[in-house]
Amino acid sequence: MTDRTPTTENSNEPVKGRSLWADGIRRLRKRKLAMVCFAVVMMYFMLAGLIYLNEVLDWKITLFDWRQAVGPSYQKPWVGYEWTPEGQTAPQRDWVFFGTDFLGQSTWRKMIYASKTSITVALFASIISILIGVPMGAVAGYFRGWVDDTIVWLYTTVGTIPGIVLIMAFAVVLRAQTFFGAELKGITAVYVAMGLTSWVGICRLIRGEIIKRKESEYVLAARALGCSNRRIIFKHLLPNVFHVIIIDFSLRFVHFIHAEVILSFLGLGEADKPSWGAMIDAARTELARNVWWEMAAATVAIFVVSLALNIFGDALRDCLDPKLRTD
Amino acid sequence: MNCRLFIWIGLLPLVLMPGCWTKDAASDDDEAVYRYPLPTKVKTLDTGNVEDVYGMLVVSNICESLYTYHYLKRPFEVIPMLAESLPVISDDKLTYTIRIKQGVYFQDDPCFPGKKGRELKAEDFVFAFKRIANTRYASVNWGAFKDRIIGLDDFREYTKQFKDEFEVDYSKEVPGLLAIDDYTLRIRLVKPWPQLVDDLTSAITAPVPKEAVDYYRKDMMTHPVGTGPYRLKKWARSVYLELEKNPSFRVETYPAEGAPEDAAAGLLADAGRRLPFIDRIVFQIIEEEQPAWLLFLRGDMEIMGIPKDSFNTAVDIQAECPTEFIQQRHIRLSISDQPSLYYIGFNMQDPVVGRNKPLRQALNHAFDKDKLNELFYNGRWRVAHSVMHPLMNEYDPAIAREPYTGYDLQKAKWLLAEAEKIQGGPIPELTVGMSGSDPFSRQFGQFVQRQFESLGLKVRMDFTDWPTYVEKMNKGQHQIFGGGGNRFSTPDALGVLSMFATKYFAPLGNSFFYSNPDYDRLYDQAEVMFPSPERTIIFRQMERMVLEDCPVILNTQRVQYILYHGWLENYKPHPYLYDIMKYIRIDTDEQKAYKNLEKELKQKIKP
Repeated sequence: MTDRTPTTENSNEPVKGRSLWADGIRRLRKRKLAMVCFAVVMMYFMLAGLIYLNEVLDWKITLFDWRQAVGPSYQKPWVGYEWTPEGQTAPQRDWVFFGTDFLGQSTWRKMIYASKTSITVALFASIISILIGVPMGAVAGYFRGWVDDTIVWLYTTVGTIPGIVLIMAFAVVLRAQTFFGAELKGITAVYVAMGLTSWVGICRLIRGEIIKRKESEYVLAARALGCSNRRIIFKHLLPNVFHVIIIDFSLRFVHFIHAEVILSFLGLGEADKPSWGAMIDAARTELARNVWWEMAAATVAIFVVSLALNIFGDALRDCLDPKLRTD
Repeated sequence: MNCRLFIWIGLLPLVLMPGCWTKDAASDDDEAVYRYPLPTKVKTLDTGNVEDVYGMLVVSNICESLYTYHYLKRPFEVIPMLAESLPVISDDKLTYTIRIKQGVYFQDDPCFPGKKGRELKAEDFVFAFKRIANTRYASVNWGAFKDRIIGLDDFREYTKQFKDEFEVDYSKEVPGLLAIDDYTLRIRLVKPWPQLVDDLTSAITAPVPKEAVDYYRKDMMTHPVGTGPYRLKKWARSVYLELEKNPSFRVETYPAEGAPEDAAAGLLADAGRRLPFIDRIVFQIIEEEQPAWLLFLRGDMEIMGIPKDSFNTAVDIQAECPTEFIQQRHIRLSISDQPSLYYIGFNMQDPVVGRNKPLRQALNHAFDKDKLNELFYNGRWRVAHSVMHPLMNEYDPAIAREPYTGYDLQKAKWLLAEAEKIQGGPIPELTVGMSGSDPFSRQFGQFVQRQFESLGLKVRMDFTDWPTYVEKMNKGQHQIFGGGGNRFSTPDALGVLSMFATKYFAPLGNSFFYSNPDYDRLYDQAEVMFPSPERTIIFRQMERMVLEDCPVILNTQRVQYILYHGWLENYKPHPYLYDIMKYIRIDTDEQKAYKNLEKELKQKIKP
């Protein structure tokens, strides 16, 4: 057997090959804006994780205690004020970033806490939709025939229903339902609803990729060696389309954050904890009395994470998909 | 290509114009139109099944009942409407003989021969009551008649054999409900029913012509046929309802007597004039408060309640008068008590809160009702100290000074320690059920949560949609729940006290599943008593039993702040009367002048 390691023209020194992932990450690192956006996204994830740990381990971090009253009702942001906290008699001077809401709670803390709600929903909804969409797409693309027809019929039917309407319908139906002894409440019902209804895009994408690759040499080789269909799909084909899943995941994440905001705005999301949609819903009526800060806080938080995710997702696609490379 | 493009552009205004053109309801001639914003859709206009305030508000203008309340007199006085006089009551208080006015006609309707409304007869009342008893009709108002009239419950049993409400033979006699002749109705009772005359003021007891039910069948909910001053002209569901004057309405006149201050307020200026004054009533369904408020300020609504967020713009709360902004527009303010009660209820069947009186009392004293009133109602509602409303004759003003309802965190903490002894350790997490997840419900829920958590308790809020909330309440699945509303359709306090009687366990009204044999005994005793000092004593005893056992944390009672335009004459709020629109008059000249006034005021602001 001959050694087929590539060498340079002038020497016998072997050239070190780069995998698709290593190459993609190298290209990504060159994009400063994408890296800044990645840092922003990671910050949101870290905040969500910290809030989760704070709740589980009872760390009592003040920044995450959104329930605490920090001032009078509807206190304007960046303006000093005097107030008497509950259970105290002496008034104290205070100052609060981003003002207070109806109950004197810090809008800033609510905005931060709401990132946990949105990130949790988007993360789990993405995972559920991938867990449904990827295997179905792969099976449809690989086997074709009646299996393909059935799955294509199913996703075409689901795809014809407007996404947000379907999510709302599922969210309403799933609320307060019990599965395997666990009650679907609050955001659990929301991300399950989103996950169950949003797999069509990734399913269609993976089906196309699998159809394209199923006659590739490495698949034919695996088949010639007697690999089972399951092994070919999950060991050979899916790892080769994994970058498509990652790209789709990053872009889909924004969609799920927006969907969560819409559902919360409509009163179908998290009800007893802050979420950006609920903050906007509450601020809607408050705008009439010039209370703009709750609306502003939620909008800024959504804007920043959406922009960061979009820029980062686009950059990731450019870097991981060889066909889209322009550099 | 270009030619075709120009044709399309030319046609575009034809498509868009209808959307830009809106008909001003008050612009036609000198027609007096009363425009009223409804915050929610009306479910039905079938009197036998109407239950909500807004349905009642509409249908009461179309369908009349035997009795009504005097519009102006206070305290509230029952007067005949379709009856000729107050009923003749037998000595044993078990037989009511009611003479019905002659010459009263149903409005013209296709259900009658020749589309001409026929004369009202006593049989129409008998039919209406039997229809409510018909199980296949499934009236939500059956509770008002249950176990009251001789033979009516048996008639209900008889209807169970049919599959369809229209198969029931209404000629089957009910001994306690007889039309002696065309103009005499006789009601015989199982036991005394002291509230009967008050209950007969409600539109749910309005006469129903059998011809209408046979003609419209299931569509009765959209075709009310009554004897009232107005008739339904159009009902665009979810958009608006329009009523127009009933041309065959009998001669009724504006009252010549009233409360002592009414003459000075100009409320007797129209005494003796024929009713109604207004030509059309338009109920516009506007679910959001802000658009309704802007329409009102523009002069496109005659009257409206003040949105929470616009309250400071409208009312100077210190002086209890309209602000300059409102006065400049000649808008008037009316402040009136609404017989209502809002509360946090405990499920007395719950193993934690139901068996632990000190826990319930601790939560009661940890709940700052004044702060609730200040935050949610701009401090304008009443803090409730009693289950009875101050408008009720049996209300005891001294109750506010008794130590049942006050906010006292120290006492609450002491009571909590007692509660933990009964519990045998720390109190487990408590769950509070709330209906809705709109901003108000969420804010209210957070407030409740914070109040209870001030005792160091763990509290979880359970926000559910209305049907789930009601289902849980009826099945006793809430642990603690927020509730309340305008529950009292008559000034008699027995209705509110029935909320705590064992025989009225949910879904009949006692959602707390509160059961106290002493209370039940007193209730049974008071239920058949006519208003008297003895009955008042019993009512107050029962009230104190409830406050001591604390199945409920009393919060607030609504005080209604209503703004109405200066062109609206004769307006006087009445908490038990839904058909006050027939008494109201509109000064159309002043109404038209308002648009110019509004323009002038806007121009003044611009420089």
